[in-house]
Amino acid sequence: MNEQLKLSELNGRVKKAIGETFTAPVWVVAEISELKLNRNGHCYLVLIEKEENGDAIVAQAKATIWSYTFRMLRPYFESTTGQPLTEGLKVLVSVSVEFHELYGYSLNIRDIDPTYTLGDMARRRREIISRLQNEGVADMNKELTLPLVPQKIAIISSFTAAGYQDFIDQLTNNPSKYRFHTRLFPAIMQGNQAETSIIGALEQIYLYENFFDVVVIIRGGGSQVDLSCFDNYNLAYFITQFPLPVITGIGHEKDDSIVDLVAHTRLKTPTAVAEFLISGLTRFDNYLDDQKNRFVASIDDILLAAKSDVEHYSRSIIPLVREKISKGTSQLNQTIWKFDNHVKIFIQNQTYQLTRTEESLRHEFKNFSQIQLRYLEKTTRALSASLQAIRLNNNELLQRKIQRTEKSVKKIVSERLHYLELTSQKAMLTDPARILARGYSITTYNGRALKDTDRISSKAHIETRLYKGNIISEVITILK
Amino acid sequence: MNVSKKTTSYKEAITEIEEILKQLDNNELDVDELSDKVKRVSQLVTLCKEKLHNTEQEIDKILKEMDHNYQ
Repeated sequence: MNEQLKLSELNGRVKKAIGETFTAPVWVVAEISELKLNRNGHCYLVLIEKEENGDAIVAQAKATIWSYTFRMLRPYFESTTGQPLTEGLKVLVSVSVEFHELYGYSLNIRDIDPTYTLGDMARRRREIISRLQNEGVADMNKELTLPLVPQKIAIISSFTAAGYQDFIDQLTNNPSKYRFHTRLFPAIMQGNQAETSIIGALEQIYLYENFFDVVVIIRGGGSQVDLSCFDNYNLAYFITQFPLPVITGIGHEKDDSIVDLVAHTRLKTPTAVAEFLISGLTRFDNYLDDQKNRFVASIDDILLAAKSDVEHYSRSIIPLVREKISKGTSQLNQTIWKFDNHVKIFIQNQTYQLTRTEESLRHEFKNFSQIQLRYLEKTTRALSASLQAIRLNNNELLQRKIQRTEKSVKKIVSERLHYLELTSQKAMLTDPARILARGYSITTYNGRALKDTDRISSKAHIETRLYKGNIISEVITILK
Repeated sequence: MNVSKKTTSYKEAITEIEEILKQLDNNELDVDELSDKVKRVSQLVTLCKEKLHNTEQEIDKILKEMDHNYQ
């Protein structure tokens, strides 16, 4: 214990020794284990070295990139590698070795060689690819058949991603108005969490594998860097084993990611994916129309052929029918003629019979009428003879009666004439007027001539008719 | 899991149409059968067109169910 140093003195010596040993910056290969930015833009890192064939850390050092340097280094690195400067990357950096009495050992990064990282990434990609190929799974998703009409789409994307909204708009507003059925399974699409998040989304979709036609992994708009999450073995493996075809549109123009390589169909952008899906429906729709048109044309052909067949048959049938008709007509005419003859003969027979009957009738009638006539004549004669006899007889009787009557009438008339003469003479003597003129009068009572006094009483008014004029008198006394 | 159910109906429809066309091309169809085939093809085409352009209730139901299960 000959010498005792203060810690600051020791640290000072270490600092001096380091300063003397590392007079210039050195290039060192390391993996970035941690990376943080502070408010001033300074970058604080932890660099590590792992065991050759394992994960054990064999060396570690703190490192810094001062903001001035960081502002230049970062864009340079990222534009060259297409990859953000982030944890997990292997880098070749130029460092100055520093020692601070208070903060200890650290490396100040002055420069970075992106080509090393690029090479390392490529190597790692190659390793992943060859691993997938050796396992025989690399092409498994490609071997799935894309459905005839990919209409039910499971989408893995970030809800906020501009690419997602473009994709939905494009599907919804497709010119042919096809109806797509989409469902977003949200996931983190960049950074270290992307792997787990995307696998989680795939697991959800797997529950509906019978419903969906395809899975679409899209990402667009944002930064063109940070695609290393798609160069991931676990994610790639998961996709190769997925039962539905996976279509990618993760939006980078350069090399394909490993996810792109194992996907069923790799497209550059979400827009391209939408076009691809729409074209699938269009192709089917057109094919459907083609088949329909072919069908319609075939039907037309068949109908046309059938029609011409019918026309042909109908043309050839007309002469046949005509022949048949004329044959039939002549047969008919013959029959009619025959029938006609029969009828004529029948009528003649009947007429003859009728005539004969008529004649015999007439003959009989003649006989009958002659007999009747004779009988009538006989009767008439007999009658007129009897009539004559009766008439003669009656005449005689009548004559006699008349003569007798004439005689008695003449007698009666002469008797009457005589009586009449006597009577008229007597009447001349008893005519009332003559009697009245001679001074007699007639007295009446109540219009009746008074012949006695029986009916009369005093005070009765009696009328006396004279030859000339009448007297009305009152009875004063009745003398009996 | 191979060909899913819903795409099968597109496939079935187009396959049936192709089959009928083949029969037509090979003169295997009687004129009397044509009317039925015309009806059938028109039915199938209409079915496909409907499916291409419209939502089926069944699909909506499943999508809603998903919203319910997965949020």
